[in-house]
Amino acid sequence: MAVTAVVKSDPKFVYLFLLLTVVTANTTESDFNTTVFDAYNFSYNVTESTQPPVSESTTTAPSNSTEMPNLAAVPLPVSGHLPSPLTSADRLCPCDEHMDVCDINCCCDRVCNGEVPLFTSCSYPTVSGSKQMCNHDVAFYSLSRAADGYSELLSSAQKETNYDIFCIESQNRVDGLSYPSPALPTDSNFASLFKQFTSFIFGLEKVNQVSSVNLQTSRGYQYGDVIVTAGAAAQRGILRLPTPGVTADCVDNSPAAFLKDQSSRCSRHVVLDQDCGHLPALSMDGYTDTQLFSDMSTDAAVVPVVASSVILQSADHTQTELKITGRGNISPVLINPTLCGNVVLKVLYVIKYNPHGKIDNATVSVVLGFVTEAMLPLEQEFQVMYIQAGGGDVNVHYSGNPGYVVGLPLVSGTRTADGIVRSIDLRDTLSLLHSTEDQDCLQGPHQRSPVLFGQDSLSGCLLRLEDGLNCTLVSQELLRILRGFNYPYYVASFGNSPLDNILDWVQIKTNFNPTEAPSCSIPLSLHLEIEWTKYGSLVNPQAEIVSIKEVIQSNTSSLVRHTISVRAFIAEKKLQATRLLMKHRESFALCVFSHRPCCPEAVVSFQSEAQWPSSQYLLLLFLVIGPHLPSMPNCPLTSSSLLFDSTAAFAYLSFPINTGTLCDHH
Amino acid sequence: MASYEVYSHPALIRYKTSVCTKATLFLVVVLCLTYIPPLLVAYRSQGFWIKRSTYEEQPVVRFQYQTLLVAATSTQGEYVAWSTFPQLNNMLGANLRIPAVTVREEDQNQDGKLDLLVFQLQLPLKPNEQVYSIQLLLTFSYQLFRMSTVVMQSLAYVQHSSCVPGAKLFISGDLRLQQRTPLPHRGLYNIYNESVIDGSSPFASAYDLENIIRTYQDRNLTTVLSCPMPLWTIGRAAAAPFELKAEIRYPVEGLMFDTPDSGVWCLIFVIVSALTSPSTYRPGFWETIKFAWIQYVSILLIFLWVFERIQTFVFQNQVLTTVPVPVGKPHMS
Repeated sequence: MAVTAVVKSDPKFVYLFLLLTVVTANTTESDFNTTVFDAYNFSYNVTESTQPPVSESTTTAPSNSTEMPNLAAVPLPVSGHLPSPLTSADRLCPCDEHMDVCDINCCCDRVCNGEVPLFTSCSYPTVSGSKQMCNHDVAFYSLSRAADGYSELLSSAQKETNYDIFCIESQNRVDGLSYPSPALPTDSNFASLFKQFTSFIFGLEKVNQVSSVNLQTSRGYQYGDVIVTAGAAAQRGILRLPTPGVTADCVDNSPAAFLKDQSSRCSRHVVLDQDCGHLPALSMDGYTDTQLFSDMSTDAAVVPVVASSVILQSADHTQTELKITGRGNISPVLINPTLCGNVVLKVLYVIKYNPHGKIDNATVSVVLGFVTEAMLPLEQEFQVMYIQAGGGDVNVHYSGNPGYVVGLPLVSGTRTADGIVRSIDLRDTLSLLHSTEDQDCLQGPHQRSPVLFGQDSLSGCLLRLEDGLNCTLVSQELLRILRGFNYPYYVASFGNSPLDNILDWVQIKTNFNPTEAPSCSIPLSLHLEIEWTKYGSLVNPQAEIVSIKEVIQSNTSSLVRHTISVRAFIAEKKLQATRLLMKHRESFALCVFSHRPCCPEAVVSFQSEAQWPSSQYLLLLFLVIGPHLPSMPNCPLTSSSLLFDSTAAFAYLSFPINTGTLCDHH
Repeated sequence: MASYEVYSHPALIRYKTSVCTKATLFLVVVLCLTYIPPLLVAYRSQGFWIKRSTYEEQPVVRFQYQTLLVAATSTQGEYVAWSTFPQLNNMLGANLRIPAVTVREEDQNQDGKLDLLVFQLQLPLKPNEQVYSIQLLLTFSYQLFRMSTVVMQSLAYVQHSSCVPGAKLFISGDLRLQQRTPLPHRGLYNIYNESVIDGSSPFASAYDLENIIRTYQDRNLTTVLSCPMPLWTIGRAAAAPFELKAEIRYPVEGLMFDTPDSGVWCLIFVIVSALTSPSTYRPGFWETIKFAWIQYVSILLIFLWVFERIQTFVFQNQVLTTVPVPVGKPHMS
């Protein structure tokens, strides 16, 4: 026990002297068994003598190591011989903490002859040997009061009997009840001992120098590489993109990673009158004055970052594009102590790369604006996009291929004579009114958030009406606000529906007819109900929108109430049927889940006519309902496809609604 | 003269018949009805045997000496932070504040497994700074050996905030294991033996606490610091550092694990494979049988008793024609 404790602590003493005091101090506090105490004494002695020889050995080590390698097994200068462990009870003394000095109230301390009369009690009244032995020695210490009031020490030793059945009668192994003798550290085994007892230490983290990327290899960038920039005096730097780190504050040193599209918003503590003209993070030059190396080789071409657009945003969020002529006038200006102009609010890097991992060109667009005290801490937005050169029209964003991907916006457009027209601006898609801080429906500016596939969302605003308002005007205005400015009337069935195929687009059905009511009606809520289904094979189902319905509830009564809440609500409803469309007209696949008792067996119906999207479905066939529906959590698709000769083009596969456990096909 | 029973013994009567008779058919049917239904009854009543079981083990936990500390120093959201990751420290810039840290791991009961981590940290503060909130993240190496060998890296996260500036935060808690799915009953389970924080990453997103916690909580096996009573001491002296003391215990954990695959087909498969190729049957076979036969035999006893009576009735009353052979003749020789 004791000796192992020494070995464990020994390497720590060697590499961390700062910890030495703490370790030893803690050890003394604990309640000691007999042998631990000895170990403590020993380790303390060793470590006390540890420090000076370390410096000596560093001077002598080189000469030794060159001339005599056979000295390897000799113990290191700081290690010595281990004393044999004490076991007899009358020699043990757990409270003897100071060598050659009397410890107060330590009755077994042998140097306390003169101080014993001053003792008040014995801190250890009994000290015993190993309690596992059937007969073990116990030393008793007690104090008695003499006639003069001073204490006298009474000590006695006697054998005590252990009545445990499994006690040890006698033991003939020397270290049977103590730890095996530890290996003394030598030149040869020091490394292995060190590794054995120090698995984790402070400072294990290696510093990977980002700037010391291997520039010798003539290679292009790879995914996740940092992008090297050319500094002023042939220095190499890194393209940095501020991002939030452990807090929401901007970490300016974070590099941008190649091919990782990244968008971040972070906040910055700014003192306007001090930082306005001086903080580089607020100035556009800090983002435009960089030059990138086209690849990671030493002779890489330098690609300047071109400022493609500079947009000035006014205090009320209107944006105007600035002509980039000179540099002088667009650095931050302190207009008055609480207003700073031309501050960078948004930075977008667009980096074009080719298939060899080289950067072809890089542009940056910046939004500048005015910052007042009320806008502090300042929020900035940073974005980097990577575009493959010659990769086609990258501006058109699709929301799936072909089925919609959860979280991407619905693709929407309006119909013209030629087909569907859709804006490439993501803000012009089907969107919902976003709630603002003033909560007023009629007062702008209105923020809108796009309708994302697969996500139910809700927001609202408050409508405050005053007497004497023109009801028709309010109604039209509200409808315009609820629907948005460019309200699309068509939504694509798939995430990549082509614009010229009108059959792939679903019209938004509406129940609202503003002209039908003779009295004025004010729309109070807009509810979009989008029904989608899974389409295609069971192993790779694709989401397809089959219908979209707009429900507008209106208040047809007269304008009595002054505050009406208006809500826009969208819910996406999953059809309780999964369509299974087969490519071959002659056969269709029917999935059978019943290989394991876990699966809800399917109710299968299929359509006899190959017409789609017709809404006439014919129920033809039911399969058995399995007996173990509720108990089985998931259903891996171990289906074998049964092929039926039929003219049907697809089948409906629906599950019992009340089970609540639809098979997970993934 | 009154008589009394001085002794009694049962007499054995044998009923003999040839192979192709009704009695043989009856015997086969009775045997089937006796031995197969208990199997079905046992299987239908909530599975044949225990599918999931628990055991207790004290894990082998080592503090990995990875730390991340964030302290809010003003109510406006100014902060100081420190970590053992050099990349993050470089990024922190002026917000970096290096504390004095002492760490000790103790094996209190001398069983070779560490029981307690004492982590002390003193965060020096400037005169105008106060500590309003603390976020502390420590990483551990966590190992279990008894059933399946589990090797993983885990973390403990402490967050405390107060509107009153603090002088000390004392945390004393347990590093508890959280299990979403049972462990396998054997083998090496090391899919989570990866760094919780990628300390070599130069990107700030690698140290984003949201990213760290999200990926960590995705795991089926995590540890969580259970500290019901964090102690926030107020009243810091102007020049004193903020002190954080954490005592984290590594207690014995009750773990859930999957017993070998169950089901009546599994039993048959196990038996067949054990008989045909004794070297390849699964090691969980005896464990399975151990629980199964108790259930089977207990139900079988009832069936045996019932059909014993039926057979006795049928043969005794000669419902089916057999040839009874009376008790053996007395020995003459």
